[in-house]
Amino acid sequence: MAVARVTVRHRAAFLVRREHPAVRALALVGLVVLWELFTRLGWVPALFLPSPLGVLAELGDMARSGQLFVHVAASLERLLAGFAIGAAAGVAVGVLVGFFSLAEALGQPLIAATFPIPKIALLPLLILWLGIGEMSKVTVIALGVFFPMAINTATGVREADPLLLRAAVSFGAKRWSVIRKVIVPSALPMVFAGLKLGAGTALLLLVAAEMIGADSGIGFLVLQAGNLMETTKLMVGIVILSLLGVLSHWGLTRLERAVIPWRHT
Amino acid sequence: MRRTAPALLILLTAAAALALASPATAQAPAKVKVGVLKLTSSAPVFIGVEKGFFKEAGIEPELVFFQAAAPIATALAAGQLDVGATGLTAALYNIVLGGEQLWIVADKGREWPGYPLVAIVVQKELWDGGLRSIADLKGKRIGVTQLGSTFHYHIGNILEKNGLKLADVKIVPLQAMPATVEALKGKQVDAILVPQPFPGATEAQGFGKILAWAGDLYPWQIATIFYSKAFAADRGKAVTFMKGYVRASRYYYDAALVQKDGRVAVGPNYEEVVEITAKHTGARPELIRVGFPYQDRNGRLLVPDVERQMKWWVDNGFMKRVLPLDKIVDTTFLEEAVKQVGP
Repeated sequence: MAVARVTVRHRAAFLVRREHPAVRALALVGLVVLWELFTRLGWVPALFLPSPLGVLAELGDMARSGQLFVHVAASLERLLAGFAIGAAAGVAVGVLVGFFSLAEALGQPLIAATFPIPKIALLPLLILWLGIGEMSKVTVIALGVFFPMAINTATGVREADPLLLRAAVSFGAKRWSVIRKVIVPSALPMVFAGLKLGAGTALLLLVAAEMIGADSGIGFLVLQAGNLMETTKLMVGIVILSLLGVLSHWGLTRLERAVIPWRHT
Repeated sequence: MRRTAPALLILLTAAAALALASPATAQAPAKVKVGVLKLTSSAPVFIGVEKGFFKEAGIEPELVFFQAAAPIATALAAGQLDVGATGLTAALYNIVLGGEQLWIVADKGREWPGYPLVAIVVQKELWDGGLRSIADLKGKRIGVTQLGSTFHYHIGNILEKNGLKLADVKIVPLQAMPATVEALKGKQVDAILVPQPFPGATEAQGFGKILAWAGDLYPWQIATIFYSKAFAADRGKAVTFMKGYVRASRYYYDAALVQKDGRVAVGPNYEEVVEITAKHTGARPELIRVGFPYQDRNGRLLVPDVERQMKWWVDNGFMKRVLPLDKIVDTTFLEEAVKQVGP
């Protein structure tokens, strides 16, 4: 008996999300080309919107003179120190608050009260306490990273699957063993979401901190260029900030895949 | 500054509509937007407004107040102002270098020996601890408004004259003059450069001590009148504004700047000038009486100094190259106005 082959239309095709890599690339390239065109035609004065090629040339000049690396290195140092301190403290506090009821009773109201304060508002106070140098800058970044980390970690810990917890206990796991082997791994996705949130906040606070009494860093570069009306240099600073943001997100995503392999098959 | 653009546009459109609606009225004086700082050195502009010199020439000036000099240059380049009356900053030079034309047209204040304008103010504690000379500033944190500001230029040149370099101190930009004074008060910087009337105020409050008047150490053409490209192109209006300015400048000079036996003599209209300046700066008259900055009686510029300034900015890496003088200075408006006003 012959089997009649019937082609069935994939009726859920409109639900499938495709990647469209070409469109993604085109969006970015198109924006840059359009931007260059606008400035070339003289529709916007170069002083107010420098052309992409001009920005690239300035970037080259600054790289050759070495001042680019001085600023990037200073900013990276502050960013990494602040991020590491804030993330470590955030995870530690998050695990405690998420797991121990006493720590939660103690920590929850404190976090709820301090979390909504925009950290930029604390900057003048931190400068008074810690001076105008590196300490106040690193501290404000650490504070900015701490809160999303602590809150996300606590939520992640609380969302650990009760079935897994009971299974571990019934196999004879003790408290620390449960925390280490069940709770922390199941909180990891939330922790990484917190890290990504924190990275954005850290960048924002870095620029704000470097605009007050710094003599190096990308925030300082942007401020100085603005003061001097060197708009091409200003744009170089903005492009570097954008690159830093993209790179940190990409790095964290890679790290996430390495640390939580079960989540991305 | 740029945020005000839409609102400004609406206003201008409304004004244009009104102007069209009433065509038969007599020729109204031309409205001119003038960007100034609330400083003693703006006195000639204030006098021109209060004594009606501008109005008599056929100009209706509208004063727009700013917090620092550089934003005035930016607003001028963006077409939000017609005239700027303030300090010469690296930003102004860089704007012209970036292709947006502005013209430096007249003197509006010089740093001059014997005339207090900008002072180097140090913390009272440091003064009491024996800090007395420029050489003692080595390694200190010095607060200024912005990088590339007149204060930045001035302290750099004073240090060089005293055998130091800009790199021997730490320049801290604090963006606005009140913030600079606060930073000295809060001991976040060791010394600051601020113009009249701020130095007297810091001494009166007890946390600052005037180390020196900067003009005694290094004289230069600190402030000027400058025109936007569009305003300069309207030749008649541009000369008319200068006519009002020349008369105001002479009034100011005769009242507050004439010297007798090496000291500033009080002129006939001195009290009036103090009052006008106090009114517009918001400072108390006794602080204004500390002194008025020098400027040429006819508002004539120290043209070679403009070139010297650009060279210094280039040498210190705040500007890419020196502009030819005829691309940034135009004294013909002033000279024509002086001729028309007469001696």
